[in-house]
Amino acid sequence: MNDNTPKHHERLSAGMAHLGLDQVTREISDSEPPALAPNADLNFIGRNTPRWDAVGKVTGAACYTVDVQLPGMLFAAVMRSPLPHARIRSLDLAPARNFLGVRAVVTVIEALSDGHAPAVRYVGQPIAAVAAETLAAAEAAIKLIKVEFDPLPFAIDIESAMRSDASTIYRQDEAAHIPVAGFPFVADLPLEGNVRGPSKREQGNVNDGFSSADFIVEETFFTQVQTHCCMEPHAIVADWREEGLDVWMSTQFTAGVRAQLAATFQLPLSRVRVRAQAIGGGFGSKSQLGQYGKIAVTLSRLSRAPVRLVYRRDEEQMDSGNRPSSQQHLRIGARRDGKLTAISLHAWGSAGIAQGAGVGDIAMALYACPNLKSLQFDVFTNTSPSTAMRGPGNTQGAFALEQSIDALAEKLSFDPLVLREVIDLSPVRREERRLGALKIGWAHRKTPGFDSGSIKHGLGMAQSLWMSNVQINSACEVRLWRDGKVEVLSSVQDIGTGIGTLLQQVVAEELGLQPDAIGVRIGDTEFPSGPPSYGSRTSASITPPARSAAWQIKNALLQSVASHWNLDPQQLKIQDGWVQSADTPPRRIPWKEAVRTLRTDRISAVASRSDDYAGFHSRNGDSAIALNDLGGVQFVAVTVDTQTGVIHIERVVAVHDCGRPINPLQIESQIHGGILMGISYALLEERIIDPHTGCMMNPNFIDYKFAGPSGLPKIDVMVLENYQGLSATDAYGVGEPANIATAAAIANAVYNAIGIRINTLPMTPARVLQALRDANKGPVDGIF
Amino acid sequence: MESFEWQQATSFENAATSATHTTTEAMLGTQGKPVASQAMLIKAGGVDLLDLMKEGLVSPRRLIDINHLSEFQSISEDADGGFTIGALATLAQIAAHSGVGKYFPALVQTVTAAASPQIRNRATLGGNLLQRPRCWYLRSPAHHCLRKGGEHCFAYAGDNRYHAVFANHDGCAIVHPSTPATALLAFQAQIKCVSAQGAQRVIPIDDFFMLPSRDPRHENILQAGELITAVKLPAPHPAHRSAYLQLSEKAAFDWPLAAVAAVFVIDHNDICQQARIVLGSVSPTPRRAQEAENILTGAKIDPDNARTAAEAAITTATPLSGNAYKLPLLSALISRTILKAASCESPHERLL
Amino acid sequence: MSDKTHKTGKDQTKPAAEILGPGAVSMVLNVNGVSQSIDVEPRTTLAEALRTSLNLTGTKVACNHGACSACTVWLDDLPVAACSVLAIEVTSQKITTIEGLSETDHLHPVQKAFIEHDAVQCGFCTPGIVMSCAALLAHNPHPDAAEIEVAISGHLCRCGTYPHVIQAMLSLANKQEGNHE
Repeated sequence: MNDNTPKHHERLSAGMAHLGLDQVTREISDSEPPALAPNADLNFIGRNTPRWDAVGKVTGAACYTVDVQLPGMLFAAVMRSPLPHARIRSLDLAPARNFLGVRAVVTVIEALSDGHAPAVRYVGQPIAAVAAETLAAAEAAIKLIKVEFDPLPFAIDIESAMRSDASTIYRQDEAAHIPVAGFPFVADLPLEGNVRGPSKREQGNVNDGFSSADFIVEETFFTQVQTHCCMEPHAIVADWREEGLDVWMSTQFTAGVRAQLAATFQLPLSRVRVRAQAIGGGFGSKSQLGQYGKIAVTLSRLSRAPVRLVYRRDEEQMDSGNRPSSQQHLRIGARRDGKLTAISLHAWGSAGIAQGAGVGDIAMALYACPNLKSLQFDVFTNTSPSTAMRGPGNTQGAFALEQSIDALAEKLSFDPLVLREVIDLSPVRREERRLGALKIGWAHRKTPGFDSGSIKHGLGMAQSLWMSNVQINSACEVRLWRDGKVEVLSSVQDIGTGIGTLLQQVVAEELGLQPDAIGVRIGDTEFPSGPPSYGSRTSASITPPARSAAWQIKNALLQSVASHWNLDPQQLKIQDGWVQSADTPPRRIPWKEAVRTLRTDRISAVASRSDDYAGFHSRNGDSAIALNDLGGVQFVAVTVDTQTGVIHIERVVAVHDCGRPINPLQIESQIHGGILMGISYALLEERIIDPHTGCMMNPNFIDYKFAGPSGLPKIDVMVLENYQGLSATDAYGVGEPANIATAAAIANAVYNAIGIRINTLPMTPARVLQALRDANKGPVDGIF
Repeated sequence: MESFEWQQATSFENAATSATHTTTEAMLGTQGKPVASQAMLIKAGGVDLLDLMKEGLVSPRRLIDINHLSEFQSISEDADGGFTIGALATLAQIAAHSGVGKYFPALVQTVTAAASPQIRNRATLGGNLLQRPRCWYLRSPAHHCLRKGGEHCFAYAGDNRYHAVFANHDGCAIVHPSTPATALLAFQAQIKCVSAQGAQRVIPIDDFFMLPSRDPRHENILQAGELITAVKLPAPHPAHRSAYLQLSEKAAFDWPLAAVAAVFVIDHNDICQQARIVLGSVSPTPRRAQEAENILTGAKIDPDNARTAAEAAITTATPLSGNAYKLPLLSALISRTILKAASCESPHERLL
Repeated sequence: MSDKTHKTGKDQTKPAAEILGPGAVSMVLNVNGVSQSIDVEPRTTLAEALRTSLNLTGTKVACNHGACSACTVWLDDLPVAACSVLAIEVTSQKITTIEGLSETDHLHPVQKAFIEHDAVQCGFCTPGIVMSCAALLAHNPHPDAAEIEVAISGHLCRCGTYPHVIQAMLSLANKQEGNHE
């Protein structure tokens, strides 16, 4: 990207700050700002600057998509399939169209094709949608739509969908139109019955590897479907006008939605505007335009009025995405000294009617092993399509891998940490294990099932791995006004991760101003295209161009003041709100006066994401994967009540790395979120589908259970300052790594407590009691 | 939620006269349609009723609001040393009441464990006793189950992890949703009612709830036009002690997998003279564990007989395909509640 | 209808059995100290009335079943879930929403502490949690961790702000009297 620009050598900090830093020399473009000092030498980066949008959020002033009200706005409602699998014989929209207040009606289900009647494939699948003057009218109108179904047999879980007599959900000729769940996804795989794949990875020869193993562990693991449970439901207000399409959307990627809208509705990019001011959570489910987005825009186009579509909670839980279920058969061989000889993984996942349900590559990537093989299959079921969800694939994968590694350690008579010293080559995770083990008191860990009473204590740990994603198509503008006001602008959106604060900190650091003096204007595609808020890539993608743009603005201002003073700009610097010269006695003027030297009311610099200084591991279109990986190690202390099956998490120690931490407190917040989502995944969450009707039985926050504020563990978060000299900020992400290891660490701690592996999520009292019973180990008598 | 008319009742009698159906009757229907679109229903705190209406499970023509009536909102100590809790007293009021807290700690433990502070500030005791079961088939508009006037119970062949393990083979396998009811049954409360004609009756709580074997569509014997006005807690025995424990998947704001309330009268020789143990969330009604009570009555309570009593309490259980796990859990909870109740101080001892 | 003149406290002066709706009904809500007239149907929840009729969108609806408490407002100083209350039934009560918690340009101590401790992520559940926390402090200026946990036990936050919420509240609880500003 920067190949034709002049380059120079720059020395950058590298290493873990608490152990002492080294320097690396990188050849970088002259358009890049100079090396950024370590956090200890900076004023704002590395500090706990208050969240940029916190005042609006604590006062209720923040405007979410559900709060957007436009004049003449219509309300949309979606008519959904009551059946899990059926052909539609007839569909009569007329009664809805004629209902008082209805302004537009649209068929959502795909039209007749090749002589086949359109199919519905899950309960809740949108069939048609209505826009009306009130929500009540829209909801009343969809009840009038007449549909005749020819019901078909259905399968709601992997096991029944894979039976030879299972009804097939897609014909071969439909394979090209199967929706994609999101990462991880491999295109063009064979489809047979309801099974698609395998997606294959192979290195070395696993058969040889297993023959040379002294010990082999082999087990099957099962994970459930988890739903995202964004507090703000999926929401869009679409306004189709002559001059262009204006959309407000609760989305993780304004620029991506703009591109999808432009392609779907054949509009130029310049005529589509997508805004997302405040976004009430996403966790992967709001990454795409989605069917609901297309519905709202289509209804707006038909009715020539703004249309609002906000999912009810039951729609949100049923049909706004979910984490695929999985069955993983994992086999690992090792030599007596702990060195791995082979890892083989067969995984079946179901993303419902969507493809791309994989369990990720964590088993193929976390540990050193010469012989690897993984076969991953999609199994279609008559359930709603999955989407990416926080650490997609790897979260399911870690549950299997990290329990298996612990099982292997026990076979080898190794401490789990000692085995990982042998097989994990990452010096960063080695340090994370050391710090975490000290903090949680790993040295006091007892042998599995040690406690004699009915309440048993356990300590466990697991590791996280995530690729270090970068969105190359990321740009940021910094504006300086002649009244001294500075603004940072990008279409990047803040879904609660605090990216706006990071932009303030980075720009303030460069310009010598206070972070709260930096105006943040984001979440609007009228500004330079920012990255998505998914894949743990936002900080890595947008903070370097923000710094570059600020650096350019600084240079322009110094140039302006230098001309004013007839000095060489090299002799000027900005510090604490003053521009001052290096000569003696130094000349200085306050920021407010310095900016008055500008020739125009406003100057502006736009910078885009340059390649990492040492290049990328790989790149694909707009995105790239950096050379480093991201990860972390989590330790958990639990008690297991062997009489009631209740697992209580007493303590979590999470040690994570994300390159240069820009705002440690916000990072801690995000890690809390990952851990709590992981605890919920481990113990509580499960989408429950009735086997006889295909209906989701818990599409609400009463019966779909996730962790509230009661009975939480003490959580200690440690974040390494891990410099790598890879970009203008050297910052990378943390949102997904924070979620990946938690359930596995809990499972390992449960094993340490009771001496029984629980291979199925969630680990409810019912499952724990069943496991104890199967192992003939309980319920155990003891003192209450 | 369908639209409806609104009427503010001027009195309980006025409300009873105006009401045409109970919520339960208004939810009965054929082919998924509630029969009673003309129903005029009484609304107290409305927590559960509004939930049912939002799901389209009941769509009354009119709501008759009694929540604003100051009558029956208070809690009073009776001359006999018992307490009368107005049907419109909120769970939060009960939780904060020092007299109830002192003499009926198990009851306060049930209300503080129920729902959330927000709900406890709105939910009334009467409404809590009359709320519909949490069975997800009952709550699903897509499942026209027996209790809603349909042909069969979906739980038997479906997902019954949270369903009953006792009295569950008479057409319906709900568990009763009220946890305060467990304590009230243990304390031998009486339900005071008024009917449209102004007739008052007092129903011993042992007779208030109905099992599916008697009627699979109603949880209690209340009739249309009949309202609970108050719950009377009889004066407790001077040497009584009580405790309540529940076990849920979530640490708070979750319906229990099982719940146990225990009230003992223990004499100065530590002999249990009377025992009432009530199981919640395991049966279509709050369920007396008489087998356990019999073992403890006349005995000095200790961990051994507590466990024996707990095991006796579950011997008649008939778990469904997916809820046998409740038995060991319930057994543990029963013996823990027995020991907790037996070991706590009698509220009267300091007075005597 | 019954015309008994049973004593019913403040409501005895109301005409017997006045029937309103099902169409829009004029009513007055006392919100944040101001009486405001609105026309809504009896089926309108307090949360909907606040958000759509009064444009007080700080009260968020996330589950609409009282299960997450995002819509928490105060009814006569008691926190309730505004999605589980009808607007028509609270016309005689004092309603306080997040917009009425503090005066413009003056943050409530809970709001300040939330900002300082980063007890905010996506922020959608935040106004409700702030209302619960402020209600707790109003009657218990020095709550301990257990009391805080009970006060917020009805809230769901998918971002996982709970640990920072508890820290923010403990920081207020540990402050000396008169040191709240």
